[in-house]
Amino acid sequence: MKIAMTVWGNRVSPVFDSAQTIVLAEIKDRAVTWEQREFIAGQIPTRLARMLVDKGIDTLICGAISEQPARIIEGAGITLISFVSGNAAKVLGACATGTLNDEFKMPGCRHTIGLQHSEDR
Amino acid sequence: MNKKACAASIECTDIILESISDGVFTVDLHWRITSFNRAAEEITGIPREEALGRYCWEVFRSNMCEGDCALRRTMEVGKSFVNSSTSIITGDKKQIPITVSTSLLKDEHGDILGGVEVFRDVSLVEELRRDLKSSFMFSDMVSCSSVMQDLFGILDQIAQSDSTVLIEGETGTGKELLARAIHNLSRRKDQPFLALNCGALPDNLLESELFGYKAGAFTDARHDRQGLFSAAEQGTILLDEIGDTSGAFQVRLLRVLEERAFQPLGSTVPVKTNIRLIAATNRDLHQLVEDNQFRRDLYYRINIIALRLPPLRERMEDVPLLVERFIAKLNRRKNKLIGGIDDQAMQLLRAHDYPGNIRELENIIEHAFVLCPEGLITAKHLPAFLSLRSSLPPESATIDAVVAASERDAIINALRDNDNNRTAAAAQLGMHKSTLFRKIAKLGIDLPHQDGRSPHRRRK
Repeated sequence: MKIAMTVWGNRVSPVFDSAQTIVLAEIKDRAVTWEQREFIAGQIPTRLARMLVDKGIDTLICGAISEQPARIIEGAGITLISFVSGNAAKVLGACATGTLNDEFKMPGCRHTIGLQHSEDR
Repeated sequence: MNKKACAASIECTDIILESISDGVFTVDLHWRITSFNRAAEEITGIPREEALGRYCWEVFRSNMCEGDCALRRTMEVGKSFVNSSTSIITGDKKQIPITVSTSLLKDEHGDILGGVEVFRDVSLVEELRRDLKSSFMFSDMVSCSSVMQDLFGILDQIAQSDSTVLIEGETGTGKELLARAIHNLSRRKDQPFLALNCGALPDNLLESELFGYKAGAFTDARHDRQGLFSAAEQGTILLDEIGDTSGAFQVRLLRVLEERAFQPLGSTVPVKTNIRLIAATNRDLHQLVEDNQFRRDLYYRINIIALRLPPLRERMEDVPLLVERFIAKLNRRKNKLIGGIDDQAMQLLRAHDYPGNIRELENIIEHAFVLCPEGLITAKHLPAFLSLRSSLPPESATIDAVVAASERDAIINALRDNDNNRTAAAAQLGMHKSTLFRKIAKLGIDLPHQDGRSPHRRRK
């Protein structure tokens, strides 16, 4: 599985809409086997979505995201796990081991992490 | 202050913070939220117990958090920032526009404990701004100019009247948009609205388009074909560029309007019609009548209600509104997030005279959309033909630069007014021809090869 996550230093970027860096990673056998950082400041959501699709990304993990970019990402066929917070490496690790749970949820979000993308559709 | 008085003061501050409508939160030196008032809960939708102890960016989630945090700047330089505009994202992905003010949080000894952020939900202000803007809108048209506002004021009555309407206006002023608005406001709104550009078609094709034909009416007419008059039955037909039609066609159209019936080509049986006709032209129809180029009887038949759409150069106050509208439209169509246009680019747009009117402005914005990936449209995203750019003084211009820019504008306008005739332009400007030539050279104004006196001789 290939995933992408918007980051800010060593944390998940608080707001996808203004995120400047994205980490692309591959998960095999419950471990992160490959990781790459890319600068995305100034990229419009449609171009970013296209780039993610081109790189074979299945899932995007991010912090808060507004409606329009969320629609664009999901419209591109990418699973969106949003309103995630915390240490980027821990989030990635939890994603690899299937333990990405509500511990990583931003405050004030009623939905449950991991289920949100299916609820939103 | 004794302990009792101190406790009373803190309690009083808490009551005040809970009563105000501005959201207030404080952070410690590690960016953890230490207090979160009632209004902050309401604006963000986050309960206090979930917010306390969390990093402020996980709670506040504003576009400023990552790159341009006002609170971080305050903590770094020890200075308050007032009313920075941004937006936050709630748990249900809604963006809430807010203004933010920040200051340091100090104890009674002046030691820094952290920071305070006060934020105000300005959704209502934004809504009112939108409402105000909607008063400048009518159907798909937008304008704050007094001429257009007067037009909007009578459009409903005109639409209800069912009378023939003549719309006059230069190309690109929105004649079809106005015709559609009239149709959409009329009792015919659920019936078809069809438009035909008469100027683009020769007579026989125009007549077959409008009235249809019977099989065998002419070579290749193998089947009956319905015309616009049949297709738009009970609805509205816009005949654009009516001033460019031939005298023979004008006679035929006049008969249709008077008899309320038409004959498809090749048929001898008249077909009754019930359509509303709106005619439009970019020419001076009255002058064409005077010059015997347009039939007087048809002119009076279609000129029951005449509406004139002013060219954009006569309502330049609409440029910002139109630009905003085109940006919103193109953002939707092209899935982009262009935030607007900066001051210098707007200045350039306002300095142009728009021979192509609103259509030209829309094309300019579309051009800018191609070159501008996101953020604001700036001067560099605008088409090169807006060459007046170079005549605009820079923001920190000296008085000499401002004078030069004004001189350049005046000379370009005078040359244009006089078809590039230098002698006439010099006379209009009240200067000798040689002075004009000197200034043209000094200001680097490009002259066309033709000079207005002898259009062919000087062509290279």
